[in-house]
Amino acid sequence: MKTVKLILWSLSLILCAGSAQAQFNFNKLIDTVKKVSEATTEIDEPREIEIGEGVASNLLGAAPLVANANLQKYVNLIGRWLASQTERPDLPWNFGVLDSANVNAFATPGGSVFITRGLLQKMHSEAELAGVLAHEISHVLRKHHLKAIQKNAGAGLMGDMVGEATKNNSNRESLGKIVNFGTEMYARGLDKSDEFEADRMGVVIAARAGYDPYGLPAVLQTLQGAKPQDSDVALMFKTHPSPSDRLDILETLLPAKLDSYASQPQLTERFLDTLGIK
Amino acid sequence: MRTFPLALVFVACAASTASGLRAAEVAYTVRAIEMKQEPLTDAATLASLSEKSPVEILQRQGGWARIKSASASGWVRLLSLRFSPASGEGQKGDSGIKSLFNVALTGSSGTVVATGVRGLSEEDLKNAQPNPQELKKMRSYAANKSEALEFSRKVKLAPQSIDFVPAPTAPTARAQTSAGSGS
Repeated sequence: MKTVKLILWSLSLILCAGSAQAQFNFNKLIDTVKKVSEATTEIDEPREIEIGEGVASNLLGAAPLVANANLQKYVNLIGRWLASQTERPDLPWNFGVLDSANVNAFATPGGSVFITRGLLQKMHSEAELAGVLAHEISHVLRKHHLKAIQKNAGAGLMGDMVGEATKNNSNRESLGKIVNFGTEMYARGLDKSDEFEADRMGVVIAARAGYDPYGLPAVLQTLQGAKPQDSDVALMFKTHPSPSDRLDILETLLPAKLDSYASQPQLTERFLDTLGIK
Repeated sequence: MRTFPLALVFVACAASTASGLRAAEVAYTVRAIEMKQEPLTDAATLASLSEKSPVEILQRQGGWARIKSASASGWVRLLSLRFSPASGEGQKGDSGIKSLFNVALTGSSGTVVATGVRGLSEEDLKNAQPNPQELKKMRSYAANKSEALEFSRKVKLAPQSIDFVPAPTAPTARAQTSAGSGS
């Protein structure tokens, strides 16, 4: 901020004797400088949630929820229990099963997490579901998507968003652009290091919540059996490191750190009952 | 192979629902490993498996899998197994569990056939339009912290205090090595 003040001060010195026209440009310049400086600052939690709600609404526009209230409630209870074991237990956590055969899961900033019907169908137990939800929760905890949006959306756009008056029309427009950009991020994917971090955190969160932490690696093993070129897994494979690479990293950590929790429940029956498989 | 016998699918379903695992899940050992009598590191060794031995997974328990190899059955570390894409061909049990699931899960929506793989392709994500009604519906399913706590107590999920594990010093070095050797 010191630099910004210095720039503004210099500008005002240059322009202090200027005409009305110069004065107008000066105001615009101040605005731009402010935006750029604000784009590098942290987005506060209410705005994080606001962006996330917009992205969640878009995802639901692409694929609706599976029409099964019992299942949706079940996934929310597991998700909220997992989130309660983290450093952001009071975000407006919300979980949804999307009615799509695509195999994927998404986390939006501020605490909305989605899993597709296609991915759920590949699972065998509640511990596996918990492992995947905990991976997604970790993206929210570390603000991976928010940071990726901030990094890639362009300073001007982010500056509008974090500016003082969010309620005016131009800022609404900026929010819309950021939300659309944020939705497209799921087609590009995050940095590999973010995915590895979410894996490392996900197994710990699952164990903290009392589940067998081997649920996430079990899902990755199943995904390893899929053919990456198949249409229902293509995007997931494109936007994530390979299941083999992810398993290699988990293998260096799980047996050493979490084996004493491996006898915690998998809750296979409750999972299959809720999914209607008996 | 598209006309996989229906009877076999049903058998696969029955087996998978009983164990929580798909029937005849085939995997390969990532390295030479020892097959144990019980899911314990210090249990008696029943057999030694060389790298890339095909095995059938019978059961999963924590970090261990009960497997059947050509010579014996016993326990090995879950993470010493990998499912290569080639082995995916053998996973016909998947379609079994999937079809049952579809009937049970989407009975009320009746839109399964129409939705198909619609929705979440790259193109779909780029053109996605907001759906505030569905967002509102999703909000209505949210659980609060006390509901979640009650839910966990029902099945005795005991919360634990465990620290996050820091990134290994070279987080992707190992992965890159293993990926590189595969080509």
